Amino acid sequence: MEESVKKGTVTSLASLFPVEEAQKAAKRVEEAIADKHSELDCVRGFIADNNNLVNLVHKLPEELSHDIMVPFGKAAFFPGRLIHTNEFLVLLGEGYYAERTSKQTVDILQRRGKSLDSQVDSLEANIKDLEAEASFFNATASQVAEGLVEIREDYVEKDFNEGESESGQLQQDAPKLGNAAPNDGEYARMLAIMDELEKEELAAQSGDHSDENDDSTGDFDEMSYQGHINNNLQNLKDFRQSALLDQTNNKIKTAELPEKQYGKDVADQLNFASLGVQSTVRESEKLLGSIYPSEKIPVSSKEKPAQSTMTSKTEVEHETAKPSFDSRKAFTGSIIEHAENIERSSREHISASSQGSGSQSSKPVSRFKMQRR
Amino acid sequence: MDSSRQDKVRKFEEFVDKRLKPDLIHAINQRDKVFEQQKVFADLRRNIESLEKNSVTSLRTLVNLGSEVYLQAEVPDTQRIFVDVGFGFHVEFTWSEALNYIEKREEKITRQIQEYTQLIASIKAQIKLVCEGIRELLQLPAEKSVPERIF
Repeated sequence: MEESVKKGTVTSLASLFPVEEAQKAAKRVEEAIADKHSELDCVRGFIADNNNLVNLVHKLPEELSHDIMVPFGKAAFFPGRLIHTNEFLVLLGEGYYAERTSKQTVDILQRRGKSLDSQVDSLEANIKDLEAEASFFNATASQVAEGLVEIREDYVEKDFNEGESESGQLQQDAPKLGNAAPNDGEYARMLAIMDELEKEELAAQSGDHSDENDDSTGDFDEMSYQGHINNNLQNLKDFRQSALLDQTNNKIKTAELPEKQYGKDVADQLNFASLGVQSTVRESEKLLGSIYPSEKIPVSSKEKPAQSTMTSKTEVEHETAKPSFDSRKAFTGSIIEHAENIERSSREHISASSQGSGSQSSKPVSRFKMQRR
Repeated sequence: MDSSRQDKVRKFEEFVDKRLKPDLIHAINQRDKVFEQQKVFADLRRNIESLEKNSVTSLRTLVNLGSEVYLQAEVPDTQRIFVDVGFGFHVEFTWSEALNYIEKREEKITRQIQEYTQLIASIKAQIKLVCEGIRELLQLPAEKSVPERIF
């Protein structure tokens, strides 16, 4: 209850739309509908007249002359007859008349009929719209009468992540030691970034299935970024595979992580590369890359005071926190085939941070960047 | 006392709004119709007079079939004319007879117009009267509005 007070607002619908107002609006719309109906009847009358006239014009030339009463003003007639029954004078508009034969006149009249039909169509569509509006107003009025309330609560992403980090803390309690405290904030931030990345990925994939495009644009951004960081990087055009190999070698050399697991990762990546499933590899790279620029500075600054023994600890923490990742994925309904990528990338991220803590200042960064090319 | 006065005021207002004003509108519409008839007969008289003056015996004209589609028509003999005398009856007249009839008809129409004008005036007077009655009931000062109208 407190939370709702804090986060959201409860507005009764009656305060927004009073009952009388809603009913008044409904009545006004109904009046508009009645107007449109009368207009429609008028147009329908025109159509009937037009059809009669078409028939008449069609029939008139069948005889040379017709005996009629010729109107003389509005109140008088002369007995007379129609002559030249195949010569019609038709008003084109703006006071211009054209002499037409019966057939041509029928054509003109049929064109007029078509425009009248379209008028009828538009009027009917109008009436339908207005009726929908009226039903909406009536529904609103009845809802207001029932005392419906509107509950509005802002979606705060930050709260979400905090909750996540709390749950992570609970899980980490057992393995955590005294000097692991600064890692918590780090971990929470990492999780936030992972969430963002996941969302990005989801959006990109749900938007259109061409991962290539998204990747390429991402690559361009990263390229520009890396351009001003690493001036010494000349071999941007290197093959991905070679870059991967290089990177993994470097890692194995520098990082003190369990080698077995790493070897598996490397094998995986190489496998992907050799199989030509480049899009997945690239995705993982993209993940890495987008983690990196935002994380690089804080990571290096934070990790430097920490001992190199701590790296193994972070690894352990990460392992324990993995279930929380999975639950997140289940929650967002993300695609399973990328589970490996995400895990691996996070692992590599840790390794990278450990690298930063080791001795290198910016060299491993450049390696990662290069790999993304 | 006060409530009964309020009641009376409301009744008067209802009388003005629901009786006198619709009556006025109706009378004005009727008079407009009569004006139209007057115009029709004035036109007819002028046309017949011009026929007489030009001594036209046969006539060619265009007949409106509707939707502004015209067809030529011929009148072989213009001596006999059928004039609408009301209720859907048309009487066969010669020109002089027709002019005679039209003259009488026009007289009647002018009388009708006068009657309607008087009716309209009386309805307007009644409205004014009732409004004054309402004002007196509410004891609003009449002197204030009168000088305004004079100026």
